[in-house]
Amino acid sequence: MLALLVIGCFILLTASFGQRSNFIQSTVATVFGPLEEGASRALKPARDLVNWFDETFEARGENARLREELEEARLQAIAGQAARQENDQLRDLHDLSETGVIPSGYEPVVARVIARSPSLWTGTVTVDAGSSSGVEVGDPVMSGDGLVGQVTAVYGGSSLVLLITDPSSRISGRVVPSGVQGILQPEIGNPEGLVLGFLDRAEQVRVGSSVVTAGWRTETRASRFPPNLPVGVVERAPLIEQEASRQVFVRPLADMSRLDFVSILTGGWRK
Amino acid sequence: MILTPNILARLGALGLLTVLLEVSFFSRITLLGSRPAFAVLVVVLLGLLGGVTIGAVAGFSIGFLIDCLIGSPLGSTALVLILVGYLAGAYRERATGRAGRLGIPLICVGLTLIAEAALLAIHLLLGLSGPFSPAVIPDLMVTALYAFVLGLALNAGLRRLLSPALIDESDRQSNGPVAVFGNRK
Repeated sequence: MLALLVIGCFILLTASFGQRSNFIQSTVATVFGPLEEGASRALKPARDLVNWFDETFEARGENARLREELEEARLQAIAGQAARQENDQLRDLHDLSETGVIPSGYEPVVARVIARSPSLWTGTVTVDAGSSSGVEVGDPVMSGDGLVGQVTAVYGGSSLVLLITDPSSRISGRVVPSGVQGILQPEIGNPEGLVLGFLDRAEQVRVGSSVVTAGWRTETRASRFPPNLPVGVVERAPLIEQEASRQVFVRPLADMSRLDFVSILTGGWRK
Repeated sequence: MILTPNILARLGALGLLTVLLEVSFFSRITLLGSRPAFAVLVVVLLGLLGGVTIGAVAGFSIGFLIDCLIGSPLGSTALVLILVGYLAGAYRERATGRAGRLGIPLICVGLTLIAEAALLAIHLLLGLSGPFSPAVIPDLMVTALYAFVLGLALNAGLRRLLSPALIDESDRQSNGPVAVFGNRK
């Protein structure tokens, strides 16, 4: 009996090998089809109950796994955002060289801001380029948007930069295109603002005018910054202020609160 | 096993019910990543209760119907179930002494694993399956666990269903190879 059954199986296997279905299977499937369908419908609630338990167990594990993946994705997104921000800043610094903002003779050295003065009222940052990169005291420092400050101390691998918003900062500036010149200094009570005072002419300065470094030079003396470095935009220019105090209010182009990368202009005046 | 028309009808109905439950329920649920091999368990228990012939014929019949309904190569499942039915029946006819309380579920576990291996071998021979991956071992362990638990429950149910046909253990002990299972009521 056993041998017959086994031989029968091999015959069936051989006969049906390679075929998707055959007469026997289709006949049996047709006959049992209604029974199968009835049983399937009748047992659906029981199947769903069992599968619900399985899905619940799986969901717990999957929940934990998804939480981990979400956390990882969040960290990656943050890192991606930070990388994009850095990329934007570096691209702006690169554009400085391309657009001719940097005067000829200067070699820009890109540096990362590694420390910042904690006080709102003192404006210094530390960057990771020092004498080993050719940085010297007095070198102008720019961001992708405009003038940031000047190097006031140099070490082997880092430098201290005095920001233009520091209370002790003084820069000779010039309004373009009018040519009115004055002294740029921080606005009292506004750590993010500048005042262009001691205007040398009575000519009215308009809001929206650009302010650049004057960059004057004589035989014996020169200003600390080369000419035409973008500094800010005239934000407020009340006539009363202009006539009485001979000053206008300037908004710096560089965002001092979001400095990550700067460009130190080495060489230049010293050549 | 004493076969009467009544018992044959019960066996036929049992076989049909096994096929329907296998294709409509047990093959469509997943719990802990695997599912019970219900048809294998029924065939094994029939072999343990009825002997080699009952086990092999039940295996062929149930396997053949399953092959027809799920579209697998005709004869593949039948061959596997013949094997496990025969092995269960052979154990019943040759074993001496009681299997013990855990004997039946352990036999169910062992023969279920043999059935899975045999089915894999057939599929590999027919070119229907890829190479074996150790990743299925946890699933096999869960299937074995189901075999253990269901084996206990199904054994009690099948004994009750087929009790008029089962041979008393004491009769077999006195007449020849000791029957491990069976009580005549």
